[in-house]
Amino acid sequence: MNGLPRVVFVLGKGGVGRSTVAAALGLELARQGRRTCVFGWSLADPIAPSFGAPPAGLDPRPVAPNLHVANYRPDDTLELYFVHHLRLPRLYRHVIRGAHVRKLIEAAPGIAELFFVGHIWWLTSLAATEAGLEFDHVIVDAPATGHGASLFDIPGLLASLRSAGLLALETDRVTRMMADPSWTGAMVVSLPEELSVEETLELVPRVSQRTGRRPLALLVNRSAGGADTDRWAPRLEALRARLSPVARCGLDTVCAEFETRRRFEAALCSQLAGATVHGLVTLKEQLAVPGGHTPLDIVQNLAAELGAALGPHA
Amino acid sequence: MSTRLHVLLGEGGVGKTTLAAGYALALARSGKRVALLGIDPARRLHSALGLPLGSEATRVAELSGAGTLDAALLAPEATLRRWATEGLTDPAERERLLRNKLFAVVADRLATTTDVIASARIAEWLEHDPSLTDLVVDTAPGRNGLEFLRRPTALVALLQGRLVRWLRGEHEPGPIRARILRSLAHLGGAEMLSEFAQLLSVAEGPFRRVLSRLEHAEACLRDPSTQILLVTTVREQTIQAALHSSSALAEAGLAARAIVVNRTLPPALAMELRANDDASLDVGAADVVRYALAYLEIQARIVVDARRLASSVVEIPAVGGLDSDSRLDVLARLGDVVRYALDRNPEGSP
Repeated sequence: MNGLPRVVFVLGKGGVGRSTVAAALGLELARQGRRTCVFGWSLADPIAPSFGAPPAGLDPRPVAPNLHVANYRPDDTLELYFVHHLRLPRLYRHVIRGAHVRKLIEAAPGIAELFFVGHIWWLTSLAATEAGLEFDHVIVDAPATGHGASLFDIPGLLASLRSAGLLALETDRVTRMMADPSWTGAMVVSLPEELSVEETLELVPRVSQRTGRRPLALLVNRSAGGADTDRWAPRLEALRARLSPVARCGLDTVCAEFETRRRFEAALCSQLAGATVHGLVTLKEQLAVPGGHTPLDIVQNLAAELGAALGPHA
Repeated sequence: MSTRLHVLLGEGGVGKTTLAAGYALALARSGKRVALLGIDPARRLHSALGLPLGSEATRVAELSGAGTLDAALLAPEATLRRWATEGLTDPAERERLLRNKLFAVVADRLATTTDVIASARIAEWLEHDPSLTDLVVDTAPGRNGLEFLRRPTALVALLQGRLVRWLRGEHEPGPIRARILRSLAHLGGAEMLSEFAQLLSVAEGPFRRVLSRLEHAEACLRDPSTQILLVTTVREQTIQAALHSSSALAEAGLAARAIVVNRTLPPALAMELRANDDASLDVGAADVVRYALAYLEIQARIVVDARRLASSVVEIPAVGGLDSDSRLDVLARLGDVVRYALDRNPEGSP
């Protein structure tokens, strides 16, 4: 993980295990002694609970040595920004919190996204002096693709409106952060299945184009790899013969699933080899791994796999 | 309301799009006049049906019997432009609107406007084709799927709110209001505020139209005949997500008609694999067995949890072969599982 930027956006469509992978990346960096915060944007934070802690809010919550988790909430972020950062409590109370302006902020597209990225900027720059929170890395569990990748469009979009005042200042800061390769990078998570692969083939070049550089890595989650085969059914023939028709059908479905995953993994590999800095990293299907399958087991196993694939930080 | 609305909600990757397509197809094959609206910005509906789809309704061919199926994808940019132009007859006005920077931003670049446009698109479809019996809506995944239910209310509130009326210059703001406007100008710049005001005044006609459609969409959503289906899959975290969606629905005064557990395996497999424990399996084969056992364990837990959340729980068996020639048949069979389960349990009572 040598030379990972301070902020790593983990991108990918919903359901690919993005939060779990983001948590694992955070845990591995923390194990290597880097102070890390995993920052997500969910209705309810799923990451802190996987470490046995209550769901995190905007305040980073410690969940393991060197590891914090936080979850974006637009209202709290606005309060933090106006009251604690800008020290404009009256503006916040009388204007921003007012029902009409709140409605405007809720309905206006792009504002919530700007403050999401703005908060990441704050976490990696001013949080140390303003809140005593010092992080070497912020791992961003970005909202699902489409919405996730559009985070990179927000600064340019707001700049094109020639906004002025505080919004312009905020846009400017965020633009500088996103443009700096030592500050910001992206990883893409994919599944070895048809729709996810299709989307990844679009997403990887899009991220390269928007950021002006290749993503750091392509992480293929729930890989069927490990066995030196792409035909599972013949190996299970003896067992299969002893099963009832219903159970046999279920087993065949699972074999077909593994074979499909192997096929799509090969497709990703052949089409996106070289499209990222660290190449393609496969993460094993955790239900096929011996041992427990609690969310914590899974995050720990994936952290070890990421550590082995990406190497030590220093 | 004569058209019944079916809304599929769920995390990304649970197979909502495939199920929405299958369910719509099954309804159409049973003789209904069905429309299917894909909202997912990733345009997966196209892949699921294996048909080229656009923002205009396309007839899905090869249906026997009286039923019909029209499918469309939501294309926010094209839809917004169409609404703007159909609402403005004066070409100069139309030009001003299309040139407004904020409008361009909204129209071109933000996936987040999908929710609002989707709601209004639903109402538009119902308006144009009152003979529809069923409209199946596939929502964007996760957080944004639920926003689709909430955003219309937020936008209606905004557009009818006083702030918008001051910005449009309908009312002369008093001294306090003027101060609020000045503060906003300080925050976002006077130019951005005037651009916004211009957008609001030029777009008044189209906005009114969208507004009334949003209100109509919300009324449809709250109609007692509407069915909200919460789709989940056999993954540890998805039932947690379903729980949150349930309470978010309750907050909005809505409830899920059923929880659909997608891609289940036959429970008999777990018992038989344990009874036939085979230590001689090689690495790859042992992976498959371990995976199947762990999967079935989670599945059993999820079905129990789902029964606690909703009175109707529908299990959809995992299938392969969606890339084969009989894709539409496989899809319709999946849809039939949902249809029969809901018919058996008409009022959602246990």
